[in-house]
Amino acid sequence: MFNFKFADIGEGIHEGKILEWKYKKGDKIEEGETLVIVETDKVNAEIPCPVDGTIVELGPDEGEMIEVGDLLAKIDDGEGTKEETEEKDSTKEDSSDGDDDTEEKESEEKNDKEDSSSDDEDEDEGGVVGKLESSDEVIESSQETKKSSSKNEKVLATPVARKMASDLDIDINQVKGSGEHGRVLKEDIENYKQSAQSSEKLTTTKQAGIDVPEIKSHEGDKREKISSLRRSVVRAMTVSKQIIPHTTLIDELDVSDLVSFRNEHKEKAANENVKLTYMAFIIKALTKAIKDYPILNSSFDQVNEEIIYRNNINIGIAVDTPDGLIVPNIKNADQLSLFEIANKVEELAKLAKERKIQLSDLQKGTISITNFGAFDAISGTPVIKHPEVAILGIGKIDKKPVVRDNEIVIRDILPLSLTFDHRIIDGADGGRAMLAFKKYLKDPLLLLMN
Amino acid sequence: MAVKTILQAINDALDQAMEKDESVVVYGEDVGFEGGVFRATAGLQKKYGEKRVFDTPIAEAGIVGSAIGMAINGLKPVVEMQFSGFSLPGYNQIVAHAARFRNRSRGKYNLPMVVRMPYGGGVRALEHHSESLETLYAHIPGLKLVIPSTPYDAKGLTMAAINHPDPVIIMEPKRIYRAFKQDIPDEAYEVEIGKARMVKEGKDITIIAWGALVREVEKAMKKVEGVDAEIIDLRTIAPMDTETIIESVKKTGRVLVVHEAVKSFGPAAEIVSRINEEAFFYLEAAPKRLTGFDVTVPLPKGEEHFIIKPERIAYEVKKLMAQKA
Repeated sequence: MFNFKFADIGEGIHEGKILEWKYKKGDKIEEGETLVIVETDKVNAEIPCPVDGTIVELGPDEGEMIEVGDLLAKIDDGEGTKEETEEKDSTKEDSSDGDDDTEEKESEEKNDKEDSSSDDEDEDEGGVVGKLESSDEVIESSQETKKSSSKNEKVLATPVARKMASDLDIDINQVKGSGEHGRVLKEDIENYKQSAQSSEKLTTTKQAGIDVPEIKSHEGDKREKISSLRRSVVRAMTVSKQIIPHTTLIDELDVSDLVSFRNEHKEKAANENVKLTYMAFIIKALTKAIKDYPILNSSFDQVNEEIIYRNNINIGIAVDTPDGLIVPNIKNADQLSLFEIANKVEELAKLAKERKIQLSDLQKGTISITNFGAFDAISGTPVIKHPEVAILGIGKIDKKPVVRDNEIVIRDILPLSLTFDHRIIDGADGGRAMLAFKKYLKDPLLLLMN
Repeated sequence: MAVKTILQAINDALDQAMEKDESVVVYGEDVGFEGGVFRATAGLQKKYGEKRVFDTPIAEAGIVGSAIGMAINGLKPVVEMQFSGFSLPGYNQIVAHAARFRNRSRGKYNLPMVVRMPYGGGVRALEHHSESLETLYAHIPGLKLVIPSTPYDAKGLTMAAINHPDPVIIMEPKRIYRAFKQDIPDEAYEVEIGKARMVKEGKDITIIAWGALVREVEKAMKKVEGVDAEIIDLRTIAPMDTETIIESVKKTGRVLVVHEAVKSFGPAAEIVSRINEEAFFYLEAAPKRLTGFDVTVPLPKGEEHFIIKPERIAYEVKKLMAQKA
């Protein structure tokens, strides 16, 4: 019997929702077949069965939650469990009852085996008075355990104050104490209660370390539970905006050369089954800019006050899906050709929209790109995907009148926004990085030859 | 009614018990001819004869052991350990036999016997003369332990102990044997074993004491202004009147237990545990023990610092009252 448990699939995911069981109880299943689809707050993961066998028991029903470590399924793989074996053994012993000779002989043999080094007589009832328990159980080796230094987060208070708080339904740990060593006194609880009553009571919850107030409905309002994907976006955005001091450079780039280059070669690409998008050029240009300014491809570990320069350049692409924002990333984008990048972008976008993306495609991104051009927006201020430190926003390439050599001409203009983490990237550095990026993007030949 | 000291009250109780019941016998070291080193049994031998009131060798094991034999055979022995510190040779007889006889005989035999012993310090005595060994006796199932603090209780508890069907230890606070007098009834009466005495009702703090320290607590509270203390004289250490303690602590929220016995594993630890178990959510301050230090009771020069004086009691009460809940 194989007990198949829901394993940790990474990224700190510790629970999921059963979306669909692919097999029923009693079905035969082969190793590697998808047993179930589980929705986590990032992806819909197809969980393969690790053994061949017959399904004896399934975990939670569709729509229910499952936590890491919970039983997904019991699968009869033809090998009995340990408990079963033991049960069988004990029935055997029972059946030998009544045959004293054999039993004695057996137990003697057993004793000899178990205690071959000692000639002692049966120790079971050793002792003149009473009955001493005797067994071969070996207990754990003695170790002096060190006291773990866990911080006490409970406030100081007398029992009577605790009782008072509890009777008033007040969390005493939220009350600021005015007594010795911050001890919460009965009068503090009284004051807390009064101040809570005078101002409208706000229920708050800790979210990403911040107290978030509960929002009341107005008459006729409709409330709707958010999806787990949305929950994930909420958390990511909140963390990013709370932790990172964002700053955004807004710019325009004349990409006329790029436009004509692409128009010239997109058919050639199509013959190779590649849809040559501007995004591929942009990603390529960004990898070049990163080589010049590696700080763009880093993370800031504020706890240890260290900048982590990422070894790989994994460029995330923000994809708008019916369920919400998903940001898969292209691994080692700097090592891919333009065609490979173009194909990868298309593939990831498709998978993301179909919610078939693999968790690994979402992990370990190092910098992101978001495209707000689809909505004709002139400009945007993107939000960094923490713990990355930069995100590039791109608008829609449009024909615009610009001044060249004192004449007004029509050129293809691409609006750009570069948002970066101002803790570790100064405005001037951001500007220089933007210049480098623009240098590569506006000159496709330089980009491809470099 | 007559005004009597604690010693006279005890003597009174013994006298009346012997007069009423021929099976009551009284003996111990110097108990007969001398009437006891503190004169608790004065005049009894003359009145009731050497067969009922007599001297023994200095052999506490023999004194207690013989009392057990007498009790099994229908007498009601009331024996005296000259000082509680001398009771230890008899401790084996008390713990291993007297306390267990009812259980050992599955209820067939009970031992109506009393062991009296003067205890406590404050009298500038020698080694073995000053200790407070409540714990040694209160800890033993099958024993009852009473400690009077007034002449009234001394007579009433002694009477109750003699009339009790099982072994009772009476620890007599020798420091106050003659320290004051009280008008007490002439006729026989009992003070119920297991019932504390409410010395004074109050609402601010519960102070629990017994023996000689009850008077010290009363003196102390005269020095503390503005605190309405509830003073409980425990009077019986085992079985303890938990109900009275808990009711009081629920009312006051603060408690000070005062005893002369050393602190570690002393009676106050037991009392505070019961309070924590049954009145925890009423506590406005951590229950406090004011007890003897964890040392052998010092000889007279040092005993001065060991004995709990009203000033120390007052200090602890003020400290407890200063804590805001």
